[in-house]
Amino acid sequence: MDRSTNGLVIGGTTLRSRLFLGTGRYPSPVVMRQALAASGAHVVTFAIRRVNLDGVAEDTVLQHFSDRELVYLPNTSGAADADEAVRIARLARAAGLGDWVKVEISAHPRSLLPDPLETLRATERLAAEGFVVLPYTSDDPMLCKRLEEAGAAAVMPGGSPIGTGLGILNPYNLGWIAEEARVPVIVDAGLGSAADAAQAMELGADGILVNTPVARARDPVAMAEAMRLAIEAGRLSRLAGRIPKKRYATASSEPEGRLFAAAEPRSGNAPAGASRGGAR
Amino acid sequence: MRNIRECKLYVVSGEQYHPGRGLLEVMEAAIRGGADIVQLRDKEAPKRELLRKAEALRELTRRLGALFIVNDHPDIALAAEADGVHLGQEDLPVEAARRMLGPDRIVGVSTHALPQAVAAERAGADYIGVGPVYPTGTKPERAAVTLSYVSEAARAVRIPFFAIGGIQPGNAEDVLAAGARRLCAVSAIVGSPDPEEAARRLRGYIERWEFESPSGMPASGGVRLIVNGREGVTNAGTLLELAAEYRLADRRVVAERNGEVVPRAGWSEVPVREDDRIEFVHFVGGG
Repeated sequence: MDRSTNGLVIGGTTLRSRLFLGTGRYPSPVVMRQALAASGAHVVTFAIRRVNLDGVAEDTVLQHFSDRELVYLPNTSGAADADEAVRIARLARAAGLGDWVKVEISAHPRSLLPDPLETLRATERLAAEGFVVLPYTSDDPMLCKRLEEAGAAAVMPGGSPIGTGLGILNPYNLGWIAEEARVPVIVDAGLGSAADAAQAMELGADGILVNTPVARARDPVAMAEAMRLAIEAGRLSRLAGRIPKKRYATASSEPEGRLFAAAEPRSGNAPAGASRGGAR
Repeated sequence: MRNIRECKLYVVSGEQYHPGRGLLEVMEAAIRGGADIVQLRDKEAPKRELLRKAEALRELTRRLGALFIVNDHPDIALAAEADGVHLGQEDLPVEAARRMLGPDRIVGVSTHALPQAVAAERAGADYIGVGPVYPTGTKPERAAVTLSYVSEAARAVRIPFFAIGGIQPGNAEDVLAAGARRLCAVSAIVGSPDPEEAARRLRGYIERWEFESPSGMPASGGVRLIVNGREGVTNAGTLLELAAEYRLADRRVVAERNGEVVPRAGWSEVPVREDDRIEFVHFVGGG
């Protein structure tokens, strides 16, 4: 049994991987394809944009994936409120590639942090229209609960603002979200490296979504693989159950049979170097 | 890997045009600007050095998704795993290169007159160069063939042809007007202080010309509307005809009229009216 992927079902689909991969900002389509293969991702994200009417040679990113069996997760980036997000979601669905949508409503140009109220409104409306809704949301446990009640198929709290690579700024909140959620928790946004991905999984996330940390890595294909391995490692570590953190050391071996007597604790007044009488 | 038919802008190396700047730096800039096929041309370097350059360019083009062609030397092309070789009229014949490279690699040929173009096509070349269209410092000894050969090639040649020789942003439109759909540049790109911008400008001309060529040009007079946020005028009666004007009818795009999605099956029935707001959208990379 593959414990690292076992059991992640979203919108009725059993996913092969807990890694969701974004498709933006790669050095080239070739690298993107190779990174996708290395990541093992089953869900890939996209944005919806106007066709450039002047550059007809430009083509949709989809042509690079037509040979793969994937779940397409278009986002509503560029929407500033629920109305715009709903419009973008409907356009995405009309492309005929499924009914998943990542609600992404950023009202602040520099932080790109999600607008919680509009995100909740859009989630409600789109769930009612039959979409499989995965809202990108603030890492607030109560808000994630509300989104779940509004019909979200999964919640996607951010680790830190999109593209910053700052990692998980509030592991405490994220742990709460994972503990309380009845829908899968996919940590989205802000992760910078494999360590962050592993941390998210250890905190109890069901998966992660990354784009920039892979696409802008010096070697995107290697980073895609690192993310895949980190998710497996973090997931297994979570399932294995970490030891509690303690203040004092515990030796790995039993004390019985040791060759020499245990050292006495030194007095707090005499620094180690001073009592040795000057090593230099 | 790309298909040669998809390629539109061909850049040939010429290190003499960028003293002080590295081959890879300049070629990478050209690719980022829109060159989709790259040729290593170096008549001076000993073979061992040529191979090193070819291997470095292979790595670069593989990373950036461009085709990579080696000038003159099928052995170097094979050793460096290039996508193909480019031959002059005095180099190996196409058939000999084909035997060495096999059916899957690309063989291209420089041609300077229509009979050479026809012969290359018959011999199994994958593409030809047509030129030099204008006098060029890269080949000072060769007389320009002028735009008339471009027009002849456009009528008679079925494999892709790249117009080459003295082509730069100032004359690109003339070459495209003569019938070329693909351009090749050397000094105009690699000799530019900003090769990326030079490539982008040439690429822009190619794409604009495709867009404005007779089958793709929205006609004037008729209904005024807003398409993708831009005011336009159309003679189209339906959404399908409007999409066709923008050459979008057979592409994977989704349409919205006045805020409502129009499923593709309905495009031929949905009318376009004065002051309509139409959006044509597609999927792009995103997270």
